Amino acid sequence: MFIVFKKEVSTFFSTPFGFIFMGIFLLLSGIMFFTYNLLGGGGDMNGLFGLLSNISFMVFPILTIKLFADERKAGTEPLLLTSRLSPLQIVLGKYLAAVFVFVASLAATIVYVIILKIYGFPDLKAIAASYIGFLLLGMAFTAVSTFTSSLADNYVTAAIASFGGLVGFVLIGVFSRSVQTPVISDILSALAITRQYDSFIKGVFSLGPIFYFIGFIVIFITLSVFSLERRRFN
Amino acid sequence: MIEVTGLTKFYGDKIGIKDVSFSISKGETVGLLGPNGAGKTTIMKMLAGHMLPTSGSISIDGIDVVDDPKKALRNIGFMPEIPPLYTEMDVVSYLNFIADIKGIKPKVRTSHIAEIMELTAITDVKGRLIKNLSKGYRQRVGLAHALVGFPSVLILDEPTVGLDPKQITEVRKLIENLSRDHTVILSSHILSEIKMICKRVIIISSGRIVLEEEVANLEEGGKNFIIRVRGKLDVASAILKNIPGLEIQSSEEQSNDSQNYCRFMLVGESGVAIREEVFNALAKAKLPIVEMRTIGNSLEDIFLDITKQS
Repeated sequence: MFIVFKKEVSTFFSTPFGFIFMGIFLLLSGIMFFTYNLLGGGGDMNGLFGLLSNISFMVFPILTIKLFADERKAGTEPLLLTSRLSPLQIVLGKYLAAVFVFVASLAATIVYVIILKIYGFPDLKAIAASYIGFLLLGMAFTAVSTFTSSLADNYVTAAIASFGGLVGFVLIGVFSRSVQTPVISDILSALAITRQYDSFIKGVFSLGPIFYFIGFIVIFITLSVFSLERRRFN
Repeated sequence: MIEVTGLTKFYGDKIGIKDVSFSISKGETVGLLGPNGAGKTTIMKMLAGHMLPTSGSISIDGIDVVDDPKKALRNIGFMPEIPPLYTEMDVVSYLNFIADIKGIKPKVRTSHIAEIMELTAITDVKGRLIKNLSKGYRQRVGLAHALVGFPSVLILDEPTVGLDPKQITEVRKLIENLSRDHTVILSSHILSEIKMICKRVIIISSGRIVLEEEVANLEEGGKNFIIRVRGKLDVASAILKNIPGLEIQSSEEQSNDSQNYCRFMLVGESGVAIREEVFNALAKAKLPIVEMRTIGNSLEDIFLDITKQS
C-alpha cells in the first residue's frame, strides 16, 4: 500500500493537481480568514471553518479525479490488479495520498492560528476541535470523491460525478435543517455530513460525530474497493 | 505448462473468441497469428489474467488462473500492445515500482533492475522521464517491465508495432535472445516475424483457431512451387496431370541441343505430401527433377487462404 501512496503523492506534485488543490484551498481559507478575522476582528475560526465546510467541497474532486482515470488511460490498472497488491491496498494507497495533500494544505492554515495567538486570545481547544472536525469532514469528502472517481474512465466524468456527489451531500445538509417532515428529516439528518461537523465548530469534541465520519469513510472506501474489483470482471 | 481449454469470451452479444483450446510446453516459442480483430489480444489478456473469460479455463502449471490468479500468474510477464507506463516517472523509478508491486525484495531490487536494463538496452536512458522517450525506447521499457521477476513465461502482444525498421530488428533480436531461456508467446500480424522467432504458430481468425502447426512443417512447402525436369515437356506434363490435387499453372520447354529440360509452375496443397507424389511419379518415369523450389511465402499462403475462408 505504501508504494502506491508514495507514487501517488509524487504524482500530485509532478503534475499540477497537488498545487492546484493547495492553491485554491489556501486562497479560499485565506479570503475567509481575511474577511472574518482580519477585517471582521473575529478572534476564533468558527466563521472561517463554517463557510469553508460549505464551499470547500468544490475543490476536493481535484484530489481524486486522476486517481483512477490516469491508470485507465495509461493501461496500468490491470498491472496493479494482477500484482501482489489487493484492491483494498490500491484504494487505500490512493485515498491516503489524496488525504495527505489535503492535510498538508490544512496544516498550512496553522499560520492563521499563530496570527490569532499573537494578536488575540483564541480558545485553542475550540480551534483544535474545529480542525479535527474539518479534517474528518475533508476525509469524508475525499472518500466520496474517491468512490465516484473509481466509477469513471476519464477526468471529465470523474469530475462531474465527484462534484455531483459532493453537491448532493452538501445540499442534503442544507435541506435537513429546514425539512421538518418526520421520516424524511431523519433520513436527511443521517446523510448530512456537513451537519455532523456543526458540533466541532461549536468547540464540542464528541465521539458520536467522530464515529459517524469514520463509518462514512469506511463505507465509501469499501464501495471504491467493490468498484475496482468489479472492473476485473470486465 | 499452459493449458487452455474451451476458452470463450463474449463482449455483450459479440463473440470475442470461441472454444479456443491449445497447450504450450515449457521453453516453446509460439506465435499467435491472425488479422486485426481476430482475437489474439483477447487470448493474451486472459492468459495474463487481465481479463476473465466468459467460459473455459486456463491453467498454468496446473493452477487455474481464475481460481488462484496471484499464484498462477506469478510466472507470467505480459507486455500489452501499448505497454503500461507511468509516463511521469523516470525509467528506473518505474522499474523500481514494478519490482515492488511484483514482490521483488528490496535487497536485490537494484541489481535485478540493472540486469534487466542491460538486457533490454535501456541503461543509457534510465534517468529519463518515460514521456520523453521515443516509441522504440518505450517498447523496450515495456519489455523490461514484463521481465521484472524473470518470469518463465513471456506474453508479448504485437511487440514491434509502430516501430521503425531499425527498432523492429533490435526488438526482434532481443526477443530471440529471450526465447532461449523463456517460454514466449508472441502475437503478430507480421508473418516474417512469426517465422523468424517462433517454432509453432497458432492462426486465429474471427475468434477461432483455424490452424495450429510447427513453422518448420509449414515451411517445407507452400502451395506454389517450381520444378525443372530433365525430359520432354509433353511426357512430364502427362505424368503431372495424373497427380490428383495438382494443377499445372504454367510450363515451358527449356531444351538445348544436348538435353531436354522443361520447367513447370505447379499449384498443389501445402506441405510435403504433394511434393513427394510429384517426385515419385517422375522418378518412376525416369524423369529426374533437377530443381524444386517453393515460390512465395507458405505461411502467407495459408494465412491469406484460411482467413479468406473464415
